[in-house]
Amino acid sequence: MDIGGLLFNITSGLILGSIYGISTIGLSIIFGIMRVVNVGHGAFIMLGAYAAFWLFTLYGLIPFISAVVSLAMGLAIGMMLFYIIMRRIIRGEELMSLIAMYGVGVFLEELANYLWHADYRGYSWYIGAIPYLGLRIQLTAISGAILSIATIVSLFVFLYRTGLGSSLRAVVQDPVGAYICGIDVQRIYALGAGLGIGLATLGGVLLTLYNPTGIYPYMGHPYTLKAFVIAVLGGLGSILGAFLGGLIFGVIESGATYIFSQLGSPSPGSLALFLGFVILILILLIRPEGLLRR
Amino acid sequence: MRLSWISRIQIILALAFYAILWGLREVFPQYSQLLTLVIFYTALGQAFNIFLGLTGYVDFGYVAFMALGMYGGALAVKYVASTGLAPILALVLGPLQSVAMAVVVASAIGLIALRLRGAYFAIATVGVNEGLRHLIEGARIWGGAEGVIIPGDLRKLFGDEGFGYIATVYADTMLVVIASCAAIATWVLKNSRIGYGLAALREDEDAAKVMGVNTTKYKIIAFITSAAFGSLIGSAWALKVTTIYPPEAFNITYTIEAIIVAVIGGAGTLFGPLIGGVLYTLTKYYLGVALPGLQLLIFAPILVAVATTFPRGVVGSIRMIYSRRYILRELLR
Repeated sequence: MDIGGLLFNITSGLILGSIYGISTIGLSIIFGIMRVVNVGHGAFIMLGAYAAFWLFTLYGLIPFISAVVSLAMGLAIGMMLFYIIMRRIIRGEELMSLIAMYGVGVFLEELANYLWHADYRGYSWYIGAIPYLGLRIQLTAISGAILSIATIVSLFVFLYRTGLGSSLRAVVQDPVGAYICGIDVQRIYALGAGLGIGLATLGGVLLTLYNPTGIYPYMGHPYTLKAFVIAVLGGLGSILGAFLGGLIFGVIESGATYIFSQLGSPSPGSLALFLGFVILILILLIRPEGLLRR
Repeated sequence: MRLSWISRIQIILALAFYAILWGLREVFPQYSQLLTLVIFYTALGQAFNIFLGLTGYVDFGYVAFMALGMYGGALAVKYVASTGLAPILALVLGPLQSVAMAVVVASAIGLIALRLRGAYFAIATVGVNEGLRHLIEGARIWGGAEGVIIPGDLRKLFGDEGFGYIATVYADTMLVVIASCAAIATWVLKNSRIGYGLAALREDEDAAKVMGVNTTKYKIIAFITSAAFGSLIGSAWALKVTTIYPPEAFNITYTIEAIIVAVIGGAGTLFGPLIGGVLYTLTKYYLGVALPGLQLLIFAPILVAVATTFPRGVVGSIRMIYSRRYILRELLR
C-alpha cells in the first residue's frame, strides 16, 4: 500500500472533518440546550451550500463573504424556527420533536426543489493549489479548514468570555437554575436555536469550499446521518466533542475509503460509511456519553 | 385474558374495516391503485404501531425490517425460479424467509439497542438502518448496489397473466391479511399482561421497573413482533415493486410515513393506524393529483402543525373529548 496516498487522504479527511465538526456543533448545541434532535439538520447544510452557490454565481461574492452571510441567515432562521416551532416541542414527547424537525427539513428541501429545481449545481473558484505528497491540495479546501478553526475559536471565546455565552452554558447545565438566577431562558433558547442553525448553514458554505459541486436540494441527507455519528462520537451536546468527533470521522471516512479501494473493493465509500455506523453503535453501547465526557 | 364485550367489538370492527377495504378493491377496480396505497400504508402503520405505539420508543430504522422482507421475498422468487421447484413455493418461502431474517436481526438489535433510551435509541436505529444498507452495497451482498430484479423470474414461474395477478390481487390480499393479523396482535398484546406492562413503561420506565415489570422482555417482544410484521409487508411489497435497490428499500421516508400514519391516527390505539392510513394516503394522493410535485411542500407544514398542536392524533383526541363516556373511551383504546 502507498503510504503517501494514505497520508494524503488522512490530511484531506482532517480538512473535511473540521468542516463536519462545525456543522455538527450546530446539531449538538440544539440538542444540548433543548434536548431536540434536529433530524432536519442536512437541509440547513443544503441552504448554506446554495447560499454560497448563488452569491458566487449571481454577485461574484467569494465564499468567505457568503460564510458570514449564511451564518447571519442561519441565526435569523433558527430564532424564527424557535419562536414558531421548537418552543412548542421542547418538553414534549421525543416522537413529536422528531416529527416536527423532520417536517421542517422536508419543507426546506421541497422549497429548494421548487425554487431552484433538482439539478446538480456547482461553481468553480480557483485560487491555487499547493503540492503535497506528490499530489495537490486546493487552497480553497485549506481555507475551509482555517475558517472552521477560526469559527470554533470564536465560538469558545463567545461561550467562555462573554456574559451571553455564560448564560448559554448555564442554561445547558440547568434551565431551572439558570431561570432562578435571572437568566431569560426563552431568549437563550432562541439564541441557541439560532446559533445551532447558523453553524449548520455556515458548515454548508464551508463544504462547498472543500467540494464546490453536487449542490442540490436533497444533498443534506448523508450529512444528517454523518452528523448523528459525529455528535454521538463526541458526546451529544458537547461542543468540543462534536469538533473532535468531526475530525475523527473525517479521517476514518477518507482513510478507510482509500484503504478499501486499495484492497480492491468496488464500492469503498459504502464500506467506509458502514465502518462509520459500526463505530456509532459501538460508541453508543460502550460509551453512550461520548469520548470526552467523564 | 378476560375480555369485555367492548373489547370484542373493538377487534371485530377493526377486522371488518380491513374486510371492507379488500372488498372495495374488488368492487371498484378503477380505484385499485389508490386502494392499494391505502392498504399498504394502513398495514405499515398497524405493524409499526405495535412497537412505536405500545412502547413509545421511536425506531427510526424501522424500514430496515421492511427492506429485509423485500429482499427475503425477492430472493425466494429468484431461488425457486433458478432451481425449477414448484412455482407456488416462491410465494410460501418468501414470507417465511423474510420473517426468519427479520426475527434474527430484530433480536440482535433489540438485545443491544433497547438498552438505550430516547434520542440515543432513535439515533442507534438510524445507524443500524444505514449501516445495513451500506454493508449490502459495500460488500456486494444480494447484488449490492445493482439490486435484485425479479420481473423476469416471476414471468418464468407464473407466466404473463400470473405475474400480473400476483403483483395486484395476490399481493394486495396478502397485505390485507398481514394488516389484519397485525391488528389482532396489537389487540392481544394490549389486552394481556404485556400490554399493561408496556403501558406502565410508556408512562415511566423506571417506575415500571421498580414495580417489578420486566420492561426489557416486554420491549423486545413488541420490537420483534413489529419487525416480523414489517418484514411480511416487505415480502408482499416486493411482489409489487419487483425491483429492489438498497437506497430505495432502506429509504428513511418509509419509516417516517409509518410514524405519520400511526401518529395522525393516534399512536398506541388499535384504530389509530386505520384512520391515519386512510387520511394520510388520501391527502397524499389527492395533493399529488391536484398539485403534482408540490405535495410534500404542502404536506410538510401540515406535519409540523400536527406534531406541535395535535400530538394525540384523531383517535386520541376523540377519546380525550369524550373521556367521560365509558363505552366510547374503552372502544377507542
